[in-house]
Amino acid sequence: MKKGNFQILLILTFMLFTVTVSAHMKYKPKGKIQGFTKHFEKSLFKITQKGYYSIEMIINGDILKQGSNEVDLVIHDSKDRDVTGAEITIQPWMPEMGHGIDIEPEIVEKGGGLYHVNNLVITMGGHWQFKIMVSKNGISDTAVFDFPEVSGMAMHHNIKRPEKIDTSRSQVSEKGIYRVSYKPEINPIRINTLHAWIVEIRDRKGNPVKGARITVTGDMPEHGHGMPTEPQMVEELPEGKYIIDGMKFQMPGWWVIKLHIHSSIGMDTVTFQLDIQ
Amino acid sequence: MKRVCLFIIVILILAIYTSSVSAREDLNKWTEREKQTLKSLWLGSLPPPSKDPSNRYDGNPDAIKLGMKFFFENRFSGNKKVSCATCHPVNMNFADSLPLAHGMGFTKRRTMPLIGVAYSPWLFWDGRKDSTWAQALGPIESPVEHGFTRTQVAVVIKKYYKKEYEKVFGKLPELDEKLLPLMAKPSTEDPVALKLWVTLPEKTKKAINEIYVNVGKAIGAFVRTIMPTPAPFDRYVEAILKGDTEKASEILTPMQVKGLRLFIGKAKCINCHNGPLFTDYDFHNIHVPQPEGLPPDDGRASAIVKVLTDEFNCLSPYSDAKPWQCRTIRFMSTDVFKYKNAFKTPTLRNVAERAPYMHAGQFSTLHDVLHFYRDMPEDERPPDLEHGELTDQELVYIEEFLKSLSSPPEYFKGK
Repeated sequence: MKKGNFQILLILTFMLFTVTVSAHMKYKPKGKIQGFTKHFEKSLFKITQKGYYSIEMIINGDILKQGSNEVDLVIHDSKDRDVTGAEITIQPWMPEMGHGIDIEPEIVEKGGGLYHVNNLVITMGGHWQFKIMVSKNGISDTAVFDFPEVSGMAMHHNIKRPEKIDTSRSQVSEKGIYRVSYKPEINPIRINTLHAWIVEIRDRKGNPVKGARITVTGDMPEHGHGMPTEPQMVEELPEGKYIIDGMKFQMPGWWVIKLHIHSSIGMDTVTFQLDIQ
Repeated sequence: MKRVCLFIIVILILAIYTSSVSAREDLNKWTEREKQTLKSLWLGSLPPPSKDPSNRYDGNPDAIKLGMKFFFENRFSGNKKVSCATCHPVNMNFADSLPLAHGMGFTKRRTMPLIGVAYSPWLFWDGRKDSTWAQALGPIESPVEHGFTRTQVAVVIKKYYKKEYEKVFGKLPELDEKLLPLMAKPSTEDPVALKLWVTLPEKTKKAINEIYVNVGKAIGAFVRTIMPTPAPFDRYVEAILKGDTEKASEILTPMQVKGLRLFIGKAKCINCHNGPLFTDYDFHNIHVPQPEGLPPDDGRASAIVKVLTDEFNCLSPYSDAKPWQCRTIRFMSTDVFKYKNAFKTPTLRNVAERAPYMHAGQFSTLHDVLHFYRDMPEDERPPDLEHGELTDQELVYIEEFLKSLSSPPEYFKGK
C-alpha cells in the first residue's frame, strides 16, 4: 500500500468514527432526561415537560375507542425508580373542538409505579389529547399524549348481530355497582324521534343513588356510525331518577347504548341493547 | 280428436293463467315483520307535524296566506325577477331541475325539495339552519340567490304590504326609509354592506330585523304546509295491510314490487331512507365526487358551527321558543369528523320527478344514482352503504319502485 493511500484511509476511518460518535450522542438522552427507560414493548412512552418523570401508557385493547377506555400508566423518575404514591390527574381534551368531557376517569394505584385508569370516556371520534399530570412531594410535571385520529366509527362494524338480543330495560352495570333501568318518553321507541329517557339508578342494596353524573354513548355495532345526537343528563329527579334528553335513533336495527355513571359509590358503565323497528 | 286437442289447449291456458296469478300473489305476500316495515314507510304512519316552537305564526292562516304571497314575491330580489318560487316552482313539486340552483347567479348546490319540510329538523343540504323561517331568510341576502338585503325587505314591506303585515304581526316599527342605506346587511362576505349595517343605530337595526324575521316566519309557516299526498306505493301498502293482495297487485307492477322487496331487504336502502318521508334527517358522507370547477365542500362539518352561531337559530332572541324547547340544537351532534363531507339524506317522495340528484346535481338520472351506489369501491364504502350484490336487473326493479313514490304535493292555497 502506498503511503498516500494509507493516509486517505486513515482520514476516512477518522471521519467515519466522528460521524458515528456524533450520531450516537444525538440520540442519547441529555441532562435531566438521562436515565429514562421504556420498559414495555407495547407502551406509549413520554417524558414529562420539565423532565421529572417518564410515563408509559398501555391501552387495554391496544387502541382507544369511542366510549369507555381502560389504560395502565407506569411512572418512573429520572433515575428509573418507580414513582409510588403520586397524585395523578388525566384530562382528555379535543384541541380543535376546545372541549373535553365532564366525567372524571377513575385512577387506582396498583403499586410499583403502576396506576390503573378506568372509565376514560371518549365521547366522539377525532383528535384527542390526554394531558396527564403527576405530582409527588410538591413536584408536579405534565405530559401530553396525542391521538390524532381516534376512530369514532367503523371500529367494529364487522360485529354481526347476535341471534338473540337482550333488550331488557333493566341491567346491572359491568362491575355490579349499579342496577339501572330506563323508561323512554315514547313507547315503543320510534325511529327518527327525539325523546327523553328517565333513568333510575340503584345500588347493590336497592337504595336509590343520588347525585350521579351520567354520560351517554350509543352505537350500532354493525355500522359504527353512532347516534345522530349527543344526549345529555338534564335533570336529577327525586329517588335516584334522572332525565336524559336528546335520545334519537336514525336507523332500524340493533343499537347498543352505554351509560357511564359516576357517583360517590364509584364509576361504572351499564349497557342497554335495543332493537329499533 | 279435435275435441281432445281443444280440451288440452284450454287446460293448458288455464294452468298458465292460474300459475301466473299465484306467482303474482306470492310476490305480494309479506311476512309480519315486512308488513311492519311497509307500514313504517306508509304515508298513513306520518303523524301531523309538531308546531315549530320558534315560530309563533306557524299554523296561523293569515300568516300562511301572507307567507305564500312572499314566496312568489319578485320584489324581494335585486333584479326584481327572483322569488322563492324561482328555484322552488310549484308546477315542479317545488324543486327545479337544475344541477345548481340559479337565482341572480349560480349557487354551489342543488335546490332542495320542500315536500314534507315541516318534519325536517335541519334545513339546507348541510343543515346550517334549524327552522324553515331561518332558512327562508338565507337566500334573500345571498348575492347569487335573491341578491337583496334585509333593509330593502323592510322598505318593500312598508311600501307594499303595510296593511297585510300589520294584520298579522301588529304595528310596523317606525322607519324612515329615505335615510336608510338600502345595501346594509350584516354580511361577513360584503364589507361595504357590513359597514353600512354596523353603523346603523341600534333601534333601526332592531326594527329592520323585526320586519325581516316576520317575513321569514310567514314564509316558513307557508312552506311548512307543503305536504306529500298518497302515492301508488301508499295505496299498495294500504291494500296489503288490509289483506287485499288482489287489489295490491293492481296498484304496483311486479317489477315495482320486486324493487320494493329489494329496497327494504337486500339492498338495505331503508338504512337511511326510512320512515314515511324516506329519510332519517341525518347527514352522511356517501363519497359523491365534488363536480369539477366547484370548490371543496365539507358539508355538515362546517355547518355545525354555522347553525350554533346563527343569528336566527332556535336559541336566538328572534326565536319564540323557550330554551328547553330547542332540543334539536341542544342535543345536536358536534362531531365534525363524523360529518366531514356529509350531506342531508333527502326525502325520496317524488324522487323520480326530481332529477338531477345529489347535493350538486352530480347524477342526471336515477339509473346513474343506483349504479353509483352499487359500483362504489369496497374500500371506500362505509358500512351503512352496503347494498348487497345487486344485478343490473335488480337496479332496474329499484328504479321502477322509486317511481311509485310520486304524487303531487298539497299545500295551503288560501281561502
